[in-house]
Amino acid sequence: MRVQLIMADKDLKIGAALTAATCSLLGIAAPTTAFAADPDAKWDVDSALLYYGESDSRVKDLSLGTHATRDFGDERKLGLDLTVDSLTGASPNGAAASGGAQTFTSPSGRDVYSTPAGKVPLDDTFHDTRVALNAGWSQPFARLYTVSAGLGFSNEYDYQHLGANVGLTRDFNERNTTLSTALAYGQDTVKPVGGIRTPFSLMGDVTGDGDDGGGSVHKNVLDALLGITQVLGRHSVLRLNYSYSDSSGYLTDPYKLLSVVDPVTGELVARTPGGAPGATGLYRYENRPDSRRKQAVYAELRQDFSGKVLQIGYRYSTDDWEVDSHTLESRLRWPLGETSYLEPHVRYYTQTAASFYRYSLASGEPLPEFASADARLADLDAYTLGIKFGHVAPSGNEWSARLEFYQQKSKPPAETLIGTQIGHAQMPDFNAVILQFGYRFKL
Amino acid sequence: MVRVDDLWIASFRAMGGPCEVLVEVDRESKAQSLAARAAECAWRIEEKFSRYRSDNVVARINAANGAAIEVDDETANLLDFAATLHRLSGGAFDITSGVLRRAWTFDGGARVPTAGEIDRLLPLVGWDKVSWQRPVLTLLPGMQIDFGGIGKEYAVDQAVQVLSRISDAPALVNFGGDLAATRPRSDGRAWRVGIEDVTRADSGARSANRLIELQAGALATSGDTHRFVTASGERLPHILDPRNGFPVRGAPRSVTVAAPTCTNAGMLTTLAMLRGFGAEHFLETESVRHWIQR
Repeated sequence: MRVQLIMADKDLKIGAALTAATCSLLGIAAPTTAFAADPDAKWDVDSALLYYGESDSRVKDLSLGTHATRDFGDERKLGLDLTVDSLTGASPNGAAASGGAQTFTSPSGRDVYSTPAGKVPLDDTFHDTRVALNAGWSQPFARLYTVSAGLGFSNEYDYQHLGANVGLTRDFNERNTTLSTALAYGQDTVKPVGGIRTPFSLMGDVTGDGDDGGGSVHKNVLDALLGITQVLGRHSVLRLNYSYSDSSGYLTDPYKLLSVVDPVTGELVARTPGGAPGATGLYRYENRPDSRRKQAVYAELRQDFSGKVLQIGYRYSTDDWEVDSHTLESRLRWPLGETSYLEPHVRYYTQTAASFYRYSLASGEPLPEFASADARLADLDAYTLGIKFGHVAPSGNEWSARLEFYQQKSKPPAETLIGTQIGHAQMPDFNAVILQFGYRFKL
Repeated sequence: MVRVDDLWIASFRAMGGPCEVLVEVDRESKAQSLAARAAECAWRIEEKFSRYRSDNVVARINAANGAAIEVDDETANLLDFAATLHRLSGGAFDITSGVLRRAWTFDGGARVPTAGEIDRLLPLVGWDKVSWQRPVLTLLPGMQIDFGGIGKEYAVDQAVQVLSRISDAPALVNFGGDLAATRPRSDGRAWRVGIEDVTRADSGARSANRLIELQAGALATSGDTHRFVTASGERLPHILDPRNGFPVRGAPRSVTVAAPTCTNAGMLTTLAMLRGFGAEHFLETESVRHWIQR
């Protein structure tokens, strides 16, 4: 019995009592925490489980991401990213809400789905799993230079991405200034379910053979970045970036439609399915230009107010589709004691509509060169409001939880509205919740 | 002063070992004045609490021969701390255990005392035998105290406090391998600290074999790198168990702990050493970041 008591006593933690005694000896209120890491640990792993859910049972995404870096010493680093995404739910198909119920042929051509009267049509046949893998290496090169290179790959049912990137940074001015340049090239392959659509072709009936068409199309993206990071003093850092992006190839969304409406009333032109079930209105597949050039500037200031770190960023982007956007974003990292922190986050985003964005197509009028009713190309505003809590354990491992609310509101393109659409056009606006759990550890 | 990258490094000797202060400032004169303040801390504490001097408070206490001695506030704080540690460690940590050194000579030689020699010393060992009523300490005649197990870590914390008070420059204070940082380096980088490999220290090669990145807080190391006796082929480290007068069995060769303060870290390494074979279990239970070499 006595032995047992002694054994039990040995396992009692004395940490708190020891800390209290030390504080009293040193005459300090509460000690700072030790953050000692072990670079002999081979990997530094940052993992996160993220849930994204849109209102009205629209898109839900569950994603598990892992970012691992291994330091081989002398600032030579290997980075590996693995992300697995599972996407389910319904997304707007581009067609306009109508006074009557609407039936659509599913992308595979094997089935139909319906939308009640007065509702924005949603295609609920999507569910996809995406796996993405990236690997990158960076190391010093001569004095003051760092080079990096990486390869990336991602795969989902109807989409494949292959990418490569290189970067070079140089430090100046006693390492208070860093200039960086980067180039990335990506080649994407799209294999649309149901085959490649002929631009503006009409949605037909269920064919039953489930023929995927077998075709594939490509999209190439070249990104270039020029950035400067300037230390403005002990407590603030400024970053300025200019980026250029050139996309070419198949930039159309193969699943998005435009409703064909009466040129006077603006009501959907009805269609009678043939022998098999099929579309109950006239719907045309969209068509976008095959190139897009985008330029953006970004400025970010980080300021340390005795432990509280404020980050403010602004981004302006413009492209030859006439989508101009402004993003204003801010985070404030607020320490709670020595081991935890709270980080509120606000973001505002606004963009102008693409030149070819329209609400619908008028029956009998000549087809435009390009057209899309994808609300992501509309005149829209988005707000994000969130908060993150993080805690660093004595081992140096960190866990965090983040909760964010996202709201997207778009404006109907007034100049393309016809008849009753004026005053009644409905945009597929939504709210979303983002919940993320993160854990960062050494291995 | 030596300039390495963007750090000024000052070296000096104190408390029986090499000490250094690393400061991240632009001007050498600034670095020099900061390092001088840290060194003053080390020298002041050494002068006041070293058991090798005859003119300080420790000498007065050890020469009291049973008389009551009134001590100043700082000494009283250290005695309170020692009393708490004695209680927390179940008697394993004891600042009166120094007299056992008369029997154990840690010179790397092979002499091991007899049980009789130890038994004659044990009546002079044990914090439970002293009367401590702040600010008055009364030892039994012949008993001695020794702040050797606390002093160095305490000095590091004092130096860090002084530096943080007078400057917001990032600084690392290293007194003989026990160290603490005032804050992370200005660009957010960690301080890189090497722990000496005790297995290689035997051969005279002094290469740091293990790197630790310290963002904040302190590191302390206990080990037998330089002090041990060899008894029938078994290395006996310099950690003695005051309850029986013998070296702790199964004590690791070296224990390093990261903690908010150097004193905190130092006590954890010492208590871990005193646990012998249970060192790992102890530090895991305390859930502190630690590195053990056996």
